[in-house]
Amino acid sequence: MKPINSIGGQELREMFAAATGWLEKSSAEIDALNVFPVPDGDTGTNMLLTMRSTIEEAYRAPDHSASAVAHAMAHGALMGARGNSGVILSQILRGLAQSFTEKESFTAAELAGALQASSAMAYQGISNPVEGTMLTVIKDVAAAVQPEMTGNDKDLIAIMETVVNAASESVANTPKLLNVLREAGVVDAGGQGLHTIFDGALRFLRGEMEQMRFRKPQIIVTDVHPTKLPQMIAADEIPYGYCTEFLLKGEKLETEKIRKKLEKKGESLIVVGDDSAARIHIHTLEPGDVIAYATGLGTLHQVSIRNMDEQHQDYLEMQRDRGPTVDTAIVAVVAGDGLADVFTSLGVTAIVPGGQTMNPSTKDLLQVVEEAASDKVIILPNNKNIVATANQVQSLTEKRIEVVPSMTIPQGVAALLAFDYEANLESNIQIMTRAMSAVKTVEICRAVRSAKLGDLKIKRKQPIGFLDGDLVAVGESSLEVLNKMLSKLGLSKIEVITIYYGADTKSAEAEQVASDIRSQYPQLQIEVVRGGQPHYNYIISIE
Amino acid sequence: MAVKIVTDSLSDITDDLAQELGITVVPLYVRFGEEVYRDRVEMTTEEFYRRLVQGDIFPTTTQPPPGDFVDVYKKLAKETDEILVVTVSSMLSGTYQSALQAKDRIDEKCRIEVIDSRKVAMGLGLIVMAAAKTAGAGANLDELADCVRKAIPRSHLVIYFDTLKYLAKGGRIGKAQGLMGAMLSIKPILTIKDGEMAPLTRVRSPAAGLDYLYNFVPGFSKIEALAVEHATTPDEADELVERLSAIFPKEQIYRAIVSPVLGTHAGPNALALTVLEAE
Repeated sequence: MKPINSIGGQELREMFAAATGWLEKSSAEIDALNVFPVPDGDTGTNMLLTMRSTIEEAYRAPDHSASAVAHAMAHGALMGARGNSGVILSQILRGLAQSFTEKESFTAAELAGALQASSAMAYQGISNPVEGTMLTVIKDVAAAVQPEMTGNDKDLIAIMETVVNAASESVANTPKLLNVLREAGVVDAGGQGLHTIFDGALRFLRGEMEQMRFRKPQIIVTDVHPTKLPQMIAADEIPYGYCTEFLLKGEKLETEKIRKKLEKKGESLIVVGDDSAARIHIHTLEPGDVIAYATGLGTLHQVSIRNMDEQHQDYLEMQRDRGPTVDTAIVAVVAGDGLADVFTSLGVTAIVPGGQTMNPSTKDLLQVVEEAASDKVIILPNNKNIVATANQVQSLTEKRIEVVPSMTIPQGVAALLAFDYEANLESNIQIMTRAMSAVKTVEICRAVRSAKLGDLKIKRKQPIGFLDGDLVAVGESSLEVLNKMLSKLGLSKIEVITIYYGADTKSAEAEQVASDIRSQYPQLQIEVVRGGQPHYNYIISIE
Repeated sequence: MAVKIVTDSLSDITDDLAQELGITVVPLYVRFGEEVYRDRVEMTTEEFYRRLVQGDIFPTTTQPPPGDFVDVYKKLAKETDEILVVTVSSMLSGTYQSALQAKDRIDEKCRIEVIDSRKVAMGLGLIVMAAAKTAGAGANLDELADCVRKAIPRSHLVIYFDTLKYLAKGGRIGKAQGLMGAMLSIKPILTIKDGEMAPLTRVRSPAAGLDYLYNFVPGFSKIEALAVEHATTPDEADELVERLSAIFPKEQIYRAIVSPVLGTHAGPNALALTVLEAE
């Protein structure tokens, strides 16, 4: 590939036009990633609209110098910025424009320098910069190209490759920095959008316009697993209020003063611009106050006030479309945060806390069933004392309820795993019930009092073992009890043992139990998972 | 002149079968960093999986450029005036677009019909092989195209993945996203639905996966053909064939290997089963 030593205004415009086209291809997917700052699912669209305004204005530049085009782009971005991400994007473009002032064209080293300005500019205007967002991505990009700021003979393609690689790594890292992303198991939407724009620019420089027509930008995948369902994400931040944004035009505007004034009025405040035009974005409970204040400073344009609760509902709708079919909802009764995570990760729609010694009421179950976004609901009671309660729900709701009578957690997991996304409700009940009966459950806890049961003499606090609900073994240690039970089971047909250890059991002890069993039965696949359940030290699934 | 049949390497049709049935297979490309290989032509399947598992470069795959199809069309146009192209699902690869684009770039007088199968692997392969047989029996292009379109909904593919790691890395996870977050080691079973990979269910062990594939077949009352494919575990696939031939002694059961292009996403130890229902 021929190196590119400098870029003029015309190429700069075409490069960003190509990047905008590239962004357009994945804007819907970027929307679906959006969880921060509010899960309203419009980041991709906002960035795209901002870029479109940027490019439109780029064509109105007075001449073809890099300076004129970059300034026109920055102006277009400011005028057309939508949402948080759009405003930050406009700041990034403003940083480029300032650096390219009075330049006919720019070199690789000058681009590296301009990105430093973009990064600094992005952080300005944000009252509370949050890491793990597109701010971090532009910062990491700037840091990656900082060593390239000198020299005249560098290749712009090479610089952009560094930019794209740094952006890619930074985006992949965002869930580690921002909790809400980690919980949702997604990367930051704004960061992803920025990566896509840089990637589109790079592809343009490489002359890959033809290939871009048939390709799609790649959404960076995180290896962080979601622990919360979409409807749970950021639920603690409700109420959202109103997303309020507008362009303020006036004379001698003081952005710093405006920012100070509005800081206490809400969240996610952004004030950017210059003394003649400023773009303001805020999430506030009282949009009227913000508007009243701003009208005293100048004229308002492109005023948008949106109820974020509604946006959030739209987002939930979108997430429903995105996931595997939720035609049938599954509700499970589970105690223990680890076990709740297991069930959530396997796709239950909702969890009702409860289990041994803490049975939920019919009302508790009914409420969750009614909230589920489906007319067909399967309930997994996961305890023999809760099956009857679950069976009562049907008579209290219009919805169609089926109970797969799982008596234990392992039965519930086996039933849930076997759920067939393509099968109808009747078939699924059959499939799940069959899968449930193929698993054996061992539960080990401490005896609450001394007792004599058949041949078993039990002392208080001694570990005792239940096989599918029946008390069958007692011993000095959990391991001894488990070994007694396994030796009676006949393991020839068994493949997988999963050990869920309880809230009162140390992980080291659980690992010890697992490694002991592994050495005795090397052919088995043995997994240890923190269940965090009360009462039972161990719940063990044998299948 | 008999209609010539063209497909891509994601059909998993073996060289022997392609030759026997007169099918032209256009390879996709597998790329390890800077090195580019034509699927199965320039890199053996064994070598591919060895590098996938052991190497530190994650391979990417690309559709054949339109030019590859232009070459094929030109060559075939010397022997026929009708070509039927059946490609892998356009949701999974741009091959369909390339095949379509190439159509207008040849000067030879030759009618070309390009069909997006919305399938992959033998889910596509069995359809193409059936079409080749019908072409051999003298059907014309319109009849054949009609035949293929009707066969698409009768082709059912299920794939056992030993891991979702590779599918996620390749960014092709689609609706299978819902399977990702598992805290337990689970082995997903996927199908292809509306042209995209979609989850079917999940099992906990390879043996349970094999059982699922085995039990999938008796759900169909009339079967035209079956295909069993492996990635790195031929013995498991052979075992499945053996068990299936015990209950379906008359049906043809084809053996194939999951192509590296699909293997990039399916990873090692994957097994695939396709049922082509009879009309």
